[in-house]
Amino acid sequence: MIDQELKLGLMAARQEFSPQQIVDLIPYSHFIGAQAKIEGSEVVYWLERRPSNIGNPSLPAIHGGVIGGFLELSASIEILYSLDVASIPKVVDFSLDYLRPGRYKTIYAGCTVLRQGKNLVNVAATAWQDDVSKPIATARCHFLLP
Amino acid sequence: MVNLKIAIFKPMLKLAMERTGHGAALGFELTKIGRGEVEMTFPYKSEVVGNPVTGVIHGGVIVSLLDTCCGCAAITTLTRSMVTPTMDLRLDYMHPAEPYKPVFVSAKVYRDTSNVVFCRGSAWQDDQENPIAHCVATFMKVETPSISFGNIVRRNLRRFILGKKVYEQAGDK
Repeated sequence: MIDQELKLGLMAARQEFSPQQIVDLIPYSHFIGAQAKIEGSEVVYWLERRPSNIGNPSLPAIHGGVIGGFLELSASIEILYSLDVASIPKVVDFSLDYLRPGRYKTIYAGCTVLRQGKNLVNVAATAWQDDVSKPIATARCHFLLP
Repeated sequence: MVNLKIAIFKPMLKLAMERTGHGAALGFELTKIGRGEVEMTFPYKSEVVGNPVTGVIHGGVIVSLLDTCCGCAAITTLTRSMVTPTMDLRLDYMHPAEPYKPVFVSAKVYRDTSNVVFCRGSAWQDDQENPIAHCVATFMKVETPSISFGNIVRRNLRRFILGKKVYEQAGDK
């Protein structure tokens, strides 16, 4: 893919209010199976259960790294969708707190851009399964804008 | 007896990590397993690219690799039947990974207390002194015999050895 294609893809996704189109641009999202949709005024990301995302096979529980990767992916898609950037932002740091075990079910995630500076963006991401008020993990990350 | 335990434990951990679930999907290889010290290698894969223009792998893969590596290092310090879920994980990305090159990951336990294990890990490509990412992770020690690593291994010994996927059976609960 060339730079121009990505730019056009991002613009089309924003115009058509379809965050899923941005998700489709990134190969890693297919690898873990991430999807996105608009609910009200917010974007909700979700990850359906699949065998290749299991960390502990006997529970079974979702791999902690998948939850982390999914939240980082959601945060970067939130930036690409809500801010006017032309290429993929670079992640600077990522901090993740695991609050509950990730059961073998669909994981949902929501992101908030807490601050957008000239170069840096701070995004908070939360993941939950059945109940929004019982998050399974929260993450906080900084991205460098291209 | 202790030596026998270690001799069985190492290949079991290696098989469990490399052949089941997300570890199998990623396709990394554990190259060193010592007490509180684990190293692994991850070959470049086009499926995990995060930037389709440059071909650089997604940061989420580095999260998975470091979480797995630190988790393995934490398991190696256990003396009894316990599990070590991750409490928190913090990553700093020093510079982006270069495409088409393998990623090496190492993790070390730097403090092991009765309730918590503290780990440090780093991921690099060409030069270990110039890592692409550095992380600190803390793990809880929880005594739940039914889901401890040793018991999972015992329960699935045949499947591990035959290389069959354990989650196929466990998946549809």
